[in-house]
Amino acid sequence: MKTRFLLMSATAVSAAAVLSLPAIGQSLDYNAMSGLFGEAVTAGATGAPQRSSDVPATMIIITRDDIDRSPEFDIPGLLRHYAGVGHNRFSFGDSQVAIRGEASGYMPRLLVLVNGREVYLDSYGYTAWSTLPVQMEEIQQIEVVKGPQSALYGFNAVSGVVNIITRNPDFENWVTARANIGNGGYDDVAFTAGRSFGDRASVRFSYGNAGAEEFEPLASNTFAVSLADGDYSRETASLEGRFQITDNVRLIAEATTSEVQLQELTSIYYTTRSLYELNSYKIDVEADTDYGFWTFSGYRNETEIAYDFGPSSNELTTFRAQNLFKVGTNDTIRLTAEYREGTTISFPDPGNGGFGYETTAFSAMWNHRFSSAVDLTLAGRFDSVDWSRDGDPNPALYIFTQDDYDVSFEEFSYNAALVWRPQSGGAVRFSASQGVQAPSMFDIGFTLFTTTTPIPLAITGNPNMETSIVRAYEIAYDRALSPTVDIRAAIFTQETSDVRGTFGAFPDILPPNAPLPVLLFNNRGDTQTTGAEISLMGDPEGGWHWGVNYTYQSVDDDLATFGLFTALDFESATPEHLVNAQIGWAGERFTADAFFNYVSATTSPFQPEFGTLTRFDLDAVIAASFRAGFTVNDHVNISLNAQNANFGSGEIANVNYQPASRTWLQLSTSF
Amino acid sequence: MRNFLLPVAAGLLMAAPAAAETTTRDLEVIGRALGFVENQSGSERVLAIIHDAASAGEAEALLASLGGGLRAGRVTLTGRLVNSADLSGLDGAHAAVLLGSVAGNASVAQTVNSAGILSVSSDMGCVEVQGCVMGVQSAPSVRIVVNRANAGAASVSFAAAFAMMIEEI
Repeated sequence: MKTRFLLMSATAVSAAAVLSLPAIGQSLDYNAMSGLFGEAVTAGATGAPQRSSDVPATMIIITRDDIDRSPEFDIPGLLRHYAGVGHNRFSFGDSQVAIRGEASGYMPRLLVLVNGREVYLDSYGYTAWSTLPVQMEEIQQIEVVKGPQSALYGFNAVSGVVNIITRNPDFENWVTARANIGNGGYDDVAFTAGRSFGDRASVRFSYGNAGAEEFEPLASNTFAVSLADGDYSRETASLEGRFQITDNVRLIAEATTSEVQLQELTSIYYTTRSLYELNSYKIDVEADTDYGFWTFSGYRNETEIAYDFGPSSNELTTFRAQNLFKVGTNDTIRLTAEYREGTTISFPDPGNGGFGYETTAFSAMWNHRFSSAVDLTLAGRFDSVDWSRDGDPNPALYIFTQDDYDVSFEEFSYNAALVWRPQSGGAVRFSASQGVQAPSMFDIGFTLFTTTTPIPLAITGNPNMETSIVRAYEIAYDRALSPTVDIRAAIFTQETSDVRGTFGAFPDILPPNAPLPVLLFNNRGDTQTTGAEISLMGDPEGGWHWGVNYTYQSVDDDLATFGLFTALDFESATPEHLVNAQIGWAGERFTADAFFNYVSATTSPFQPEFGTLTRFDLDAVIAASFRAGFTVNDHVNISLNAQNANFGSGEIANVNYQPASRTWLQLSTSF
Repeated sequence: MRNFLLPVAAGLLMAAPAAAETTTRDLEVIGRALGFVENQSGSERVLAIIHDAASAGEAEALLASLGGGLRAGRVTLTGRLVNSADLSGLDGAHAAVLLGSVAGNASVAQTVNSAGILSVSSDMGCVEVQGCVMGVQSAPSVRIVVNRANAGAASVSFAAAFAMMIEEI
């Protein structure tokens, strides 16, 4: 198994620079580099290319081999098998992923990027994983960076970052076609291709189309039951061109589109059915000069979402310039400037004026190598954000005026790490970081008048909401126990103050202080998570590989009263124990893999009807998944996959739709 | 710090045992590394194996390892024996691996540099004392060290990504 759980270590390279993605990572020849160094390489931890054993962050790298051998049909499914990763599948297409915490509905704390472009929806503040315009066959590797990374990636990278890197047609030509067909109405076809045209141009293209019948809803989730006929559908396409303008200047242009319809669980543990139509456009220009490695990048995400509770139309536009350079042989510096604009229509109540924000950010990183055994990395980022609204919300319903939305805030985030490689072997990392989670656009500007409750209510965002500050500390150690067995371990603690949270069932403001009772988006208190991870991986002789990992998490909440003023309950909803195990064998033409997951019992917030916020006990869950593959010839593979094979027609694993056993036959060709 | 580290490094070098022989795995790493040298086109790379009398056997073994061409990442590596007493055989070589005591021979280093050829050795002491441009170690893990001054003298430069993943001194 080529997966490497990566703990920070003393970089052997003085150029262990921080360069916010995208940048050099998009031009990295991952195959050639990993072949040279005998291990995975990444630019995901710092933005600079590094060997996996050298990265200054606790990381997971999932390679193409890992993806090929996994009985999973989407990226969250792949991630759930690794230490420190929380996962919940709330419907066939709605999986949420958390790093060292609860994988809640519309999980807001994990930043997700594809080739450096943010696919996190910062309108509401979550990632709709099914909308990612990526097919499994075009993924080069998936990089998971654990812990706050705001100094590198900006707001919302507070529990971690997932960066998905696609294959680079500059370095390989390929064509793949694949069809999955399985029970539960599951079908999924995908085509991907990459080709270079001489030394100056190359193209990558992908298309995918999938559908499935929805799982059965939790019987007591009455609203989900009412939506039970909604099936899952997904169609995505991506086109990228790479052009070598001069010997040292490269231009990369990408356009993507996604259309996805599915059932979901929202951040208030309330079911919705959503239709996503997303488009993106991105251009990067990279210049390798005598004055550093410059990157100029810009992208635009256009998002149309039809939730049950209203339509949302948003745009995010980002421009970034950065330079990475070395001073001498032991110091590396990175300087970055970024401008970002997010806008949305009046949501979901129309006519209250569109709103949005502008952000200007500056960041810097300094890495110093004291010796081949000791390495220090310091990174900081300053963000200045200005909010505004185009019009006055209806004063008969809402408490804020247009002027109230003219708010600004400034925040500083940092990452610091000292790495020591003792003579006895392995690497020890001491790290501290401060991340910033900004209020989402909906946290600030949401407006909804509802009469579905016994008394009419106004639900409103809150321009006075504070940013959440996350402080994390970690000690990690990794080493090879033998030539075929590796161990990775970490202990960590993470404190979040001013948790951004939604409302509870009881109004926050009552008349006469408001025209109507108000459910207010607001900060809801503090929470702290302390825990440990340990992973063992082995690659013995004979084509075998195995891995086992354990995560312990202890959460201590100091939040507003559950039910009345918040739907959040991290302490009860975060599983205390996570255990994953896998074993696999590869022969000349056959492969066989088995995966097991254990999630300890939790108590989840539950809102079966709007305004009836309660709790639901979930027993511990064990999942077993299997894959058997056969290579017909150099170009054709066939496999039988069984995901959650022991779940039968449905396992009560969450409060929304019950994940069922899904089995599918996969036929794939590659050239 | 540098003033402190250099004497320490020198001390370690003096105390180090004789350099291990260059292995086939070292050749693979050298070949893959050559794929990241700038201003070289095509995929064929010729490696001059510079030896003295004491390392002639090692040189012969390496040449046999290369055979008709060793595929290493982006390049195919072929070899050529060159006696340190007669360096005329360097012509047309893309890189030169220095064996045995040749790795510390200043005259050989100067000649190789003057020819614009990347000199490499599995003896890390060689790169520390500017006897060669690159030091390569393939076990227990891959380690690549480049001497900036020597690289400049040889007019050798590397792709930015590669330069960020190795040690430079």
